[in-house]
Amino acid sequence: MIYFDNVSKYYPTKQGRHYVFRELNLSLPTDRNIAVLGPNGVGKSTLIRMIGGTDLPNAGRIHSPQNISWPLGLQGGLQGSMTARENVRFVARIHGYKDTKPIEERVQEFAEIGKYFDEPVKTYSSGMRSRVTFGLTMAFDFDFDVLLIDELGAVGDANFRKKSEDLLLSKYETTKLIMVSHSVPSLKKFCQAGLLIKDKQLHFFDDLNEAIELYEFTYAKR
Amino acid sequence: MSSAAKFRRSHWQIMCDVIFALIIRELKTRFGANRLGYFWALAEPMAQAGILVLMFSLIGRSSLAGVPVAMFMLVAILPFKLFSKILPQLSAAIEANKGLLGYRQVTAADPIISRLIIEVITFFIVYVLLMGIMAWIGFSVLPDDLLQLLAVSGLTLVMATGMGLMLCAATTWWKDTGKIVSMIMQPMFIVSGIMFSATMIPQQYWFLFVWNPLFHVTELSRDAYFSAYQTPVGSFEYLGLWAIASFTLGLMAFQVNRQRFITS
Repeated sequence: MIYFDNVSKYYPTKQGRHYVFRELNLSLPTDRNIAVLGPNGVGKSTLIRMIGGTDLPNAGRIHSPQNISWPLGLQGGLQGSMTARENVRFVARIHGYKDTKPIEERVQEFAEIGKYFDEPVKTYSSGMRSRVTFGLTMAFDFDFDVLLIDELGAVGDANFRKKSEDLLLSKYETTKLIMVSHSVPSLKKFCQAGLLIKDKQLHFFDDLNEAIELYEFTYAKR
Repeated sequence: MSSAAKFRRSHWQIMCDVIFALIIRELKTRFGANRLGYFWALAEPMAQAGILVLMFSLIGRSSLAGVPVAMFMLVAILPFKLFSKILPQLSAAIEANKGLLGYRQVTAADPIISRLIIEVITFFIVYVLLMGIMAWIGFSVLPDDLLQLLAVSGLTLVMATGMGLMLCAATTWWKDTGKIVSMIMQPMFIVSGIMFSATMIPQQYWFLFVWNPLFHVTELSRDAYFSAYQTPVGSFEYLGLWAIASFTLGLMAFQVNRQRFITS
C-alpha cells in the first residue's frame, strides 16, 4: 500500500498559489498495475515524482512500507557532467552496493549505446539518455515492489521499446507498475486498475475501463 | 525472498552510502579531469606565499613581528584559503548535483556535507604537507599551541559553513550570488591581515580592521602558532559569536528554502 495523508501540493504562480492536489487522503494498493489518467498539466508527473520521493508535498505525507523505484522518465536522474558509467556507479552506491561492476555491465549491455557509455551524459541525444535511464532501472536487480513510469512510450526506438516492454512483462510477478501514458492501448496492455486525477483529487478504480470511461466523459471535448 | 530485503539499511547507513558516493563523484569531476588536480590544491597557497615572501624580501624584510616572513604568511593564508574555498563550494553544491537529488536517498544536505568533508581533508593535507616542506627547508614549524590553532580553524570552518549555507539558499533565488562573493573575497584577502599583523598598525587605526572576523582568524592563528607573537586584538569571543551566528542563520536559511532545492 501507498498511503497519502492529507497531501496538498501547489505551485507558486504570478496569480497566487496554483493547487494541483488538495488534501488527498487515500491508500493505493500495490498488488496490481495502476494507470494514472488525466490531461496535460493536471499533475500526473507531479504525482509520480511525489510518490518517488523526488518532489515533496507542501503539506501532508506520502509513505509506504514497500520498495518504490525512482520515477523513470525522460528528465532527471542522470547528472550531465558525469558519464553513464559514473552515473550507474553512483546509483549503485547509494543503494548500498559495494561492488558496482556487474551492474555497470548489465546497464551497458541493456542500453546498447556503445562507446558513448563512457562519454558525459550531456553529450547524449534524448533517446540515448532514456536508454540509459531505462536500462538503469531494469538492469538493477533491486526487485522494486513498485516501478514508477512516466511515459514509457517516449523510451527509444521501436526495437528498444519492444525489448523494454518484454522485460517489464517478465518482471510482472514481483514488480507492479504505476504508469503515466497518453496511449490508452499501452495502458490497457499493462494495467488493470486506474487512477483518475479530477478536481485536485485522486479517484481510484479497480477496473481500468471504468476509469477510462469517466476520464473520457469528464475531459472529452463536447 | 526479494533481494531488496537484504538491503534494508538504517537511515544512518543510507546517508553514509550517499555521502561516500557523492565524495567519489566530486573527487572525480574535480581532480580527475586533469591528473595534476590535487597538485594544484597544494601549489596554489604555496605560490601565493612564495610571491609574498619574495616581495617582502625584496624590500629587505626577512622577519615580520619576530617571525620568519614565509611562516608569517603561510599561517595566515591557509585558514583564509579554507574560508574562501568553502564559500563557493557550498553555494554551488546543490546546483552541481541537481540531477542526483532525484533519488530519494539523496537529500539536499548530502552534497553540502560531502563538499565540507573534501574541503576539510584537503585543508589538513595541504597544511601538513606545506609545513613538512617548510621543516625540510629548515624552518621551525611546530605550533606553539596546537589546541588553540585547532580551535581557530574549527571556528573558521563553522563560520564558513554557515555563510556557505546562506549563499547556497541565496543561489536558488539569484543565480549570480557566486560572482558577488568572489568579488568580495578579493579585497578581503588584503584587509584580513595576511600581509601584516595588528602589532604593525598604529593603535588608532585598529578599528579599521577589527570588525572583520577573518582578521581575528589570522591574528588568533599567529598567536597560536608563534610563541613570539601575541595578538593585541584577536578575540575568541568575537570570532565565536560570528561563527555561532552565521551557522544558526545558515541552517535556518537552508531549512526554510529546502523545498526550492528539490523542485527545480
